[in-house]
Amino acid sequence: MTDTDQRHPGLSLRNLTASVPDGSGTRVLLDHVDLDVAAGEVLVVTGPSGSGKSTLLALAGLLRRPAEGDILINGVATATFSERRRTALRRDHIGIIYQSANLLPSLTAREQLELVGHIDRQPRGEARTRADQLLADLGLTGRGDQLPGQLSGGERQRVGIARALMAEPSVLLADEPTASLDPSLAADVAALITAEAHRRGLATVIVTHDDAPLGHADRHLHLAGGVLTTVESVAS
Amino acid sequence: MFLAWRDLRRTWRRFLLVGLVVVLVAVLSTVLAGLADGLVRDGTSGLRALPYTHLALEPGSQAVFSRSSVNENALTAWQQVQGAQASPIGVSFVNAASTNGGPSLDLALFGVPPESFLVRRPEAQAALAGPPGLVLASELESQGVKIGDEYRLGGSDVTLPVLGFTFAGSYGHVAIAYTSLATWQSITYGNDARGRFSAVALSLPAGTDIAAADAAAGTEVKTKAASYDGSPGFTAETATMTLIRGFLLVISALIVGAFFTVLTVQRTRQIGLLKAMGASSAYVLRDGLGQMTVVVVASTVAGTAVGAGIVALLNGGSAPVELVWSSVATSAALLIITGIIGSLVPFRRITAVEPAIALGVES
Repeated sequence: MTDTDQRHPGLSLRNLTASVPDGSGTRVLLDHVDLDVAAGEVLVVTGPSGSGKSTLLALAGLLRRPAEGDILINGVATATFSERRRTALRRDHIGIIYQSANLLPSLTAREQLELVGHIDRQPRGEARTRADQLLADLGLTGRGDQLPGQLSGGERQRVGIARALMAEPSVLLADEPTASLDPSLAADVAALITAEAHRRGLATVIVTHDDAPLGHADRHLHLAGGVLTTVESVAS
Repeated sequence: MFLAWRDLRRTWRRFLLVGLVVVLVAVLSTVLAGLADGLVRDGTSGLRALPYTHLALEPGSQAVFSRSSVNENALTAWQQVQGAQASPIGVSFVNAASTNGGPSLDLALFGVPPESFLVRRPEAQAALAGPPGLVLASELESQGVKIGDEYRLGGSDVTLPVLGFTFAGSYGHVAIAYTSLATWQSITYGNDARGRFSAVALSLPAGTDIAAADAAAGTEVKTKAASYDGSPGFTAETATMTLIRGFLLVISALIVGAFFTVLTVQRTRQIGLLKAMGASSAYVLRDGLGQMTVVVVASTVAGTAVGAGIVALLNGGSAPVELVWSSVATSAALLIITGIIGSLVPFRRITAVEPAIALGVES
């Protein structure tokens, strides 16, 4: 596996199909979707509620298996991977930012990041140093010992971003990262995600029904009826 | 256990209820262990105090003295075994009525010859060699019995004086009274003793061919520990205690299992998040089981300490309890093991959680 092979897109979806039960039948959420996201590219996917944006993200993040099709991470096809290999790939290559941060209530901001290092079996001192560096990079210096309940909404989301970056992923996925924030904070967080994605060369997909990330996207796709369509090209 | 420790430290109130229940179960379990040991002591302390290694009884008697009757032939056969010490012993239960208004007594009457290896103290040997009389368990002295009091033994016309007191203990929860074998035979058989007694007490050296000697004597040999089984109520008491303690262990395991299942359901999204972050099911299980193990061990240790304290306080009073550390440790270890087994109940639930649930996506 060539994890850092720049000849391949960071994330590729091939012929991806997903559906959900709908009454007596099924409703197609993704209809043979193909997509490439290059390293360092920020893609924003919009769509109405229930259109399958989160499902798209769950599939791209190897959190569930597609009914049909394949997901390639740095050019490596994962369709035949065992659950164990998918877990390892997720741990080493994919960072996920959640709506409302989704922080663990009993861990401080620093420990949220150190947990990633613990799961990844990083040496404790190394994980702590990296966690502190990331918290500083995201403007959270001095907030490392605070529990989620002691942080503001914007700070919580920054911790969530730092946590997603902790394992040095090559793919960054964000699920409605600004939905629970007020507009000015939402713009800041969207700008922060985009800046970090560009700076670290991460293939990034942000799904949102919110306008805040749009101004920072390199590309904007709309998902409806199981099909992704290009809305506009905002790349320079 | 990165998450488990921090969870325990910062959300300890969540574990308080289950911890408290396990503490109470441990207290009860330890007190029951003390009671079981106390009952065993109370039922067999008289036998434990005697320096025999085996008992030879009538075949089929199952170590019950009242079902066993052997004679001089059996004694002689055992006395011929190289290095063995053998002594006749007669055991029966009698009611003793005071002839001078003293308290009426229930006694386990042990008859042994004065020269028996069972009688080690010279003053006891002298008492048994002299005129017929009773040497009583020392606890009877506190009930108002005095040296020189006379007792008529039920079922016979024999009246005997109290010669003294000794640390004889009890048998079948009844205080022991020693008398000479000849006196015991006259009380039990009247004028028709024909050299009979209950059993032959043996002190056998290591390496004795017990089976051959047993066959030659026509007896049924029991080890000292096995001979306790014939003590009245011994088997029923131990079985009852074992059953109650077994139920407690099952209850404890079910409580821990139910709590951990509820906790797992509450944490479904958190488990999904851990898996989404790249944690394997084994990592999540280790964390959860480790956490429950800490709760179970800490609660059991605390409960066992409290229980041991209660047993120590009760010991020496009227309740038949005894603090035997090996029993207490076994009781605690079993509670911990069953508690950990109980925490395995939601095993499948944990492994079945999909990481996609972290995004609110159901499979």
